[in-house]
Amino acid sequence: MSDSGEIWVIGEQRLGRLEEVSLELLSKGTALSQRIGVALSAVLLGDEVEKIARELVFHGAEKVYLLEDARLRYYQSEAYARLLAGVIEEHEPQVVLIGATEIGKELAPKVAAKLKTGLTAHCIDLYVGEVDDAPHIIYVVPGWGGNLVMHIICPQKRPQMATVKPGVFSKAVKDENRKGKIIRVKPDVRDEDFRRIETVEVVEESPKGKSLESADVVVCGGWGMNALGDFSKIQELADILGGAVAGTRPAMDKGWVEEARMIGQSGKTVSPGLFVSLGASGAMHYTTGFMGSKVVLAVDQNPQAPIFQMADIGVVGDLCEVLPCLIEELKKYRMPRKS
Amino acid sequence: MGLEILVCIKQVPHPDHFSEIQVDAGKGRVIGEGIPVIMNPLDRHALEEALRNKERFSGRITVIRMGRPRVQKAVEEALAMGADRAVLLYDTAFARPDTLATAFTLFYAIQRLGKFDLIYCGNETVDSGTAQVGPMLAELLDIPQVSSVQEVSFIDEKSLEVRRALEHGYIKVRLKLPALLSVTRDINTPRLPTVQGIMEVAQKELIIWNAKDIQAPPESVGLKGSSIYAASVHEYKTGRCREIMQGSTEEKVRRAVARLKELGAI
Amino acid sequence: MDFNLGREHELLRDMVKEFADNELAPRALELDNKGEFFWEQVKRSGQLGLIGVINSKEYGGTAMGHLARMILIEEISRVYPPLGFFHQTGNLLMYAIETFGSEEQKKEYLPALCKGAKVSALALTEATGGSDPANMQTQAILEGNDYVVNGRKSWITAVDPADVVGFVAKTGDKFSAFIVEKGTHGFEVTRREETIGLRSLPVNEFALINCRLTKENLIGEEGRGLASALTTIATIGRTGAAGVGLGIARGCYEIALKFAKERVLYGKPIAALQAIQFTLADMNVKIEAAKWLCYSTAWQLDQGKTSRDLAVDIARCKLYAVDVANRCAHKAVDIMGAYGLSPEYRVIGLLRDALELGVAAGSQEVMKVTIGATITR
Repeated sequence: MSDSGEIWVIGEQRLGRLEEVSLELLSKGTALSQRIGVALSAVLLGDEVEKIARELVFHGAEKVYLLEDARLRYYQSEAYARLLAGVIEEHEPQVVLIGATEIGKELAPKVAAKLKTGLTAHCIDLYVGEVDDAPHIIYVVPGWGGNLVMHIICPQKRPQMATVKPGVFSKAVKDENRKGKIIRVKPDVRDEDFRRIETVEVVEESPKGKSLESADVVVCGGWGMNALGDFSKIQELADILGGAVAGTRPAMDKGWVEEARMIGQSGKTVSPGLFVSLGASGAMHYTTGFMGSKVVLAVDQNPQAPIFQMADIGVVGDLCEVLPCLIEELKKYRMPRKS
Repeated sequence: MGLEILVCIKQVPHPDHFSEIQVDAGKGRVIGEGIPVIMNPLDRHALEEALRNKERFSGRITVIRMGRPRVQKAVEEALAMGADRAVLLYDTAFARPDTLATAFTLFYAIQRLGKFDLIYCGNETVDSGTAQVGPMLAELLDIPQVSSVQEVSFIDEKSLEVRRALEHGYIKVRLKLPALLSVTRDINTPRLPTVQGIMEVAQKELIIWNAKDIQAPPESVGLKGSSIYAASVHEYKTGRCREIMQGSTEEKVRRAVARLKELGAI
Repeated sequence: MDFNLGREHELLRDMVKEFADNELAPRALELDNKGEFFWEQVKRSGQLGLIGVINSKEYGGTAMGHLARMILIEEISRVYPPLGFFHQTGNLLMYAIETFGSEEQKKEYLPALCKGAKVSALALTEATGGSDPANMQTQAILEGNDYVVNGRKSWITAVDPADVVGFVAKTGDKFSAFIVEKGTHGFEVTRREETIGLRSLPVNEFALINCRLTKENLIGEEGRGLASALTTIATIGRTGAAGVGLGIARGCYEIALKFAKERVLYGKPIAALQAIQFTLADMNVKIEAAKWLCYSTAWQLDQGKTSRDLAVDIARCKLYAVDVANRCAHKAVDIMGAYGLSPEYRVIGLLRDALELGVAAGSQEVMKVTIGATITR
């Protein structure tokens, strides 16, 4: 590739805690940087977050641009967007990856608009490939209907920017012996940054029940659970497998799971070791949410349901019969799953 | 007081009919003709919030839509709900934009519309769902913006406090008008249009602008103004085993669990 | 000919469909089982402007017309027929007052009725037979300036919750229409009938026992009451019943179709079986035919034709839509097997509701009498 700029990952920290998606992006960033032959760097904004900058180095960042200021302790949209755009303009990376967290989804487009560059959302993969005999970074994005995906490219504008949802890529491997440079950039924080918009309060609660993002097993119920009336059997199955409970959009609309546990294009993406889908027919905007899972088990009463195309193991049957049977059978194996 | 409020709306295929949408793999394009369309669900929440603000402070609501005039369901519904007028941006030059080109198109239209106090958008659309246009548009207009807004309170006539969602929690933000807010479904329950509202649609103003009307430079909008595009469409090889278990219910389940063990999933 | 409904009617259908799916469907079974009058849903309907679609804006209506009314009753009845049927009967007195009543009566009653804050009923039928109204026995005898009314009306929908009731009584050898308000001395609801369908809509018998009403209670001129009532029933009652029929038919069809696509027997959905497809095809054709029969009649009313001009059209669409509703409901129950008969599922309730339509606004046989007598004239 003719671009000589670095691959950048924008790290995200909240209240001194690093978002896992940053580590997932570093693993993909490492692959890209090795393939292209340029350095992988990270950017981190916050206050007193040097420890986190080191975490980024341990997970693959050769350099970390660290912008610290007391006023940057919490996400501040104007300050963060302006400073980030500034440091990007100064160092001219060729690729900038941002995690599609609630904050990332707002920050990335602001920065892209400032830089007047292209921003691809919802990547489920990215790699260097050929388009019309020229090398490009190809961003794979779920498409419409069935099993289609689109290959997006950003031929001219730089940096190429992309957001990736948490849970799509696997985390980079930590190596505490890895050496990297932490470059302190004194951010030029101005009063003007807070005149029109200011964060006044940040409240984060710990999620109820086993967290979806960290679970190695996810048990997801769909509309077909109507036959059983509620999600108690799903919870039971999840408990036996040591997994987290999730639901499709219809399940969420029914009130069986909260929005934070909804799997799908406009919800969560998960890539656990085992994904169990119960009573969901398999519409595309649902299946993109678990495409990256290692093993998929699907149960549905309709043998022609599209979910069976997206599963490794399929059981066709009435949930009222299959689910209790499955629970009994798994109890015999004495769960939970191995790590 | 009188607030000048803009609401950006998109007309999208009805989610219940998504499976009917066909893809032209050769051109990497979607064929949406004949599919029932609706106003993007989150845009209804955006419009509802605008209507509530107008009821409280008086003012005018203008909805803006980019698209073709042949089917105007989204605009009609918006007017029936209570929007005062609509602007349709239609030009072949606007077609096939990426999110930044879309933001630019809206930007030039809003420049032509003039002074405003507040812009409401839905956080994302059900079809592309990037959630990018709101923040990008605000950036081009150089106004503060917040996404995933769940609650809006007016501190005084020139400033707001909003609560925006985090994955597990929230952030409270204060901002000064003019501003742009991208809202989530938590913010309100959109009203249904009444019969009276439906019958008033015919009297409301519908403005149609093309690229020349809004003085949009061709290199900023549409496909020409796009930095990214779909080079191709592929079938996603899932690489799934697709084994369907056979036998009685008990046999199927037993075999499934055995296979899971073999695959190392449990 | 343009068979497109037009923007306003499409918007109306979308709105009512959403109202029905989101607000009525989740509670339909519960409301049906409770058997109580659904004030909340009536008020909501009024709030949306649906109740006064044939009343003028001057009196709180929305004047959208008969086709609009047909569509909204259809969409509501698809999901919850009792509310659709409420529009059928509830609009009767509203039309009579607007068409034949005095300015005072319009101002007094219509705004609250359009809002759904108050409800009404219209009573013609007596033990002597609703199909034979000229033989009614209820009498209103003029004593000075008052009418003293004695009689009993039976099988009248929604008298119990009604704030105001219209009825027809003999005045001499002619008939007159009156309004009586709830609480009037001598007006008493005497029975609630047990009905097999439309269970949350009470059907009542009421008595007038030396009930004194003034000339202000007359709707229109003395002696013109039966004609006014029959015009009202034709224009509003029969078209309304037709709309309920359309809704029930489509509701049953959609439920049966969905069921057939999901219910798996012999390794595939039963929708793949020809027998099921033939039944669904039959329903599909009949519903479409009924729809256009009803819509064209309503459209003609909107063009200004009278119910006399359209006597055959109106009788035809009520006759056919109600037949189709009963047939589709029955077939839907068949397709769904045991589920079709289970009270936990919607279809058996829709069949019961369809049965009640036969005698609404004139029995099916009376429709044939109207048609037969007219065409052979």
